[in-house]
This record gives sequence, C-alpha cells and structure tokens, in this order.
Amino acid sequence: MLSYRPGSTFAHRLDPRSKLLVQFGLAIAAVAHPTLPWLVGTTAFALATLAAARLSPLAVLHSYRVVLAVLALAPVVAGVVLGPPWFRVDPALRSALHVGRILPVLLVSAAYLTSTPVRDTRAAVQRLIPGKPGQILGTGMALVVRLFPLVLADVREVRDAIHARGGEARPLRDRVRLLAVRSLERTLDRSDRLSVALRARCFAWNPTLPPLAFERRDYPVLAVGIALAVSPLVPV
Amino acid sequence: MATEQSVDLVDDETVGLFTKAVLLAALTAGLAQISIPLPGPLVPFSLQPFGMFFAGLLLGPLWGGVALLLYILVGIAGAPVFSNANAGLGYVIAGQGTGGFLVGFLVGAVVAGAIAHRSIAPKPVADLSVPVQGVALTAAVAVVYAIGIPWMSFVTGLPLSRAAALMAPYIPPDLLKLGIAIAIVQGGYLAGR
Repeated sequence: MLSYRPGSTFAHRLDPRSKLLVQFGLAIAAVAHPTLPWLVGTTAFALATLAAARLSPLAVLHSYRVVLAVLALAPVVAGVVLGPPWFRVDPALRSALHVGRILPVLLVSAAYLTSTPVRDTRAAVQRLIPGKPGQILGTGMALVVRLFPLVLADVREVRDAIHARGGEARPLRDRVRLLAVRSLERTLDRSDRLSVALRARCFAWNPTLPPLAFERRDYPVLAVGIALAVSPLVPV
Repeated sequence: MATEQSVDLVDDETVGLFTKAVLLAALTAGLAQISIPLPGPLVPFSLQPFGMFFAGLLLGPLWGGVALLLYILVGIAGAPVFSNANAGLGYVIAGQGTGGFLVGFLVGAVVAGAIAHRSIAPKPVADLSVPVQGVALTAAVAVVYAIGIPWMSFVTGLPLSRAAALMAPYIPPDLLKLGIAIAIVQGGYLAGR
C-alpha cells in the first residue's frame, strides 16, 4: 500500500500546491493523445518524478499490481469477438494504448502519495479554495482522516458480531440491513458527539490557515505543471 | 497596539450538518473496505453505495455532496479510503477502470438529495415518502452508471457497449441495496435524523 514516508528528497521539499498542479497537469496531458510517442514522453516524465521522490519503479508497479492486472485484461476483452476470427488485434492494440496512458498517471500519483503528508494536502485545499468552502473542506478532511479508523473499527465490529451470532446463515438482505443499520447508528451517534464537541469549542468560520510557503524551487515545478495542463492544446 | 477580530461562529444547524457530512464520508470509506462474498460466479456484494444513499437522503444535495467530496479529497490526499485500501489521484482517474464510479457517487449523492428534498436544506428523513425515496435513489444509481461506464470506456479503450456489458452484473445488487436503504428508512431506524 502506498502511503507517506518521511524523507528529505526533492519531492518532499516541494510545496504540495506545486505537486498537485503537476499531478493534475500530467493526468490531463497523459489522456490527451493516445499515441505511442506521447505515451513514451509522459512515462519518461513520470519516471523522473519517481526519481525525485527516490522511489523504485518496480516497487511502485508491485504496489499497483492488482490495479494493473485488472487494467491488463481490458485489451483482451477488447479483442475478443464472438465468432471467427475470435480475436481481433486492432481493437486490442487500441485498448492497450489507452490503458498504457494510465501508467504515468499512477506513477506520478505514487510519487505524490509517498512524499506528501495528508495534512499538507489538506492545507493546500484550504488555501486554494477561498472562504467558507475552503474552511469546510479543509477542516472536514482533517476530521475524516482522524475519524475514519474509528468508523472502520465500528463497521468491522458490527460485522464480526453478526458473524458470531450465526449471521452467515441469514439471508443476504438481512445481513446487509443489519450491518448498514448498526454501522449507521454508531456513525450518527459519533456525529452527534462531534457536533456537541465543536459547538462547545466555539467552532468558527475564522480560518487559521496551516502554514505553507512557495520557495524558489517551486516556481519551475509550477511552470512544468501549467505546461503539462495546456499541452493538449499543442497539435501532435 | 492590540488588534481585534470578531469571531464568526458557525451556527448550530450548520455544525450538525457538517459533522454528519464528515461522519458519512468516514462511513463511506469504512463500507468501501467491506464486501460480502457471494457464492459461485456472482460479484462480491459491496456496501459502498450506502454511503451515497444515506448522504443524499439525510443531508440533501449540498451537504450530501460535501460528504462524498470529502471522501474523494481525503483519498486523493493519501488516506487509504478507496476499496482495498487504495488511495491517490491515480486511483480516482483509473481505479481498475472504475474510477468514474467514485465521481459518480459524488454526483449521485447530489442528485438523490436534490430529488428527495427538492431544496438545499434537508427535511427530516421520515417526511420523505417511499416513491420519492425510490425515485431519488434510482436516479442516483442511474447517474453512477451514466458517469462510470463512459469513464471506464475512455480509460480502457473498450467500446461503450462492452464496458456496459462488463458492469451489467453489478446493477441487480445495486438495486437490491437501494431497496434495503429504503427499508431502513421505512423501518424507522433514522427517525429523528
């Protein structure tokens, strides 16, 4: 599983806003042109981002093995025909090229995930989206990250309790209803307690923005991100 | 010289909707990690759509949308909230060809909330009639597939018809989930919410 690893690589030292821009820019660029030279170019760029985060491409591919295995089936499905000749190469190649475009997006995403703590992305969202929407999304992200393990533990506990009472023998509809109801009840109880806690602490719209600052090294990265985002406008 | 800044408190109703959105985002993430295996060639029964259903029914279009947007943003930021503990923008775009369904859940929650409540402010869920709930959730499921299937076709290069055929086995379970969600509301489990 890919997650943040503390470090001091070039990617770690960048502002999360410049990394987000490169990530979105590369995603736009990668899907713009389903041609082999374009695919080679975007993949080379993605490998450079892995180097900037000191990540092994093989380790990243291993982390994405399930996603890649499922995506690899697409060309096979695209090529199969019901009747002679049973398999057509052209649609399979076309599908393979489309799936290939996704690889650089996954690689850059891996570089971002391993070099950026969740709190930095939350800070970037809160700074990029002005006013109350940014405050709601920034604070909300922080709370979801904090509460997700608790809610997941609740859901698993409910599932285990249903199993312990022989729930597997019950009809699927009953099992799902029980799991959904009990999980939802616990979740809404947590919501009520969180609501009281926030009001008791005078939850306010006045934002205390997390500290973020562009440094000199961020500007060329921002320029690369913008260039990638507008690259589909360049005829190939 | 001392500076003064007035504190702009968030009103109680908004705090309540905000915390419900946060917790429903966390619940959607939790349910995405759980699926019930079914016998034979049947696809595993995922519980993730319940997050979208309850966000739309309990919170309306605005805050229901916020709940699912928080879920997606937290995943893009790196929290392992997508199915099988995946994360990242790459997963939202590609997934296993199914990234569009995540975006579909967001739009689906907004659509379900808009049809069920017909205003930004949500009504008590007990006030929603069964036909309205049925239409709202059916429209949400339709929107999820209307976004997810073309997205899958775009990502994988499969013809639209073939992408639709691949996803067709998931439609009956989703309709069953829709029925269960309505049964939960009608059972009074969400009374007073």
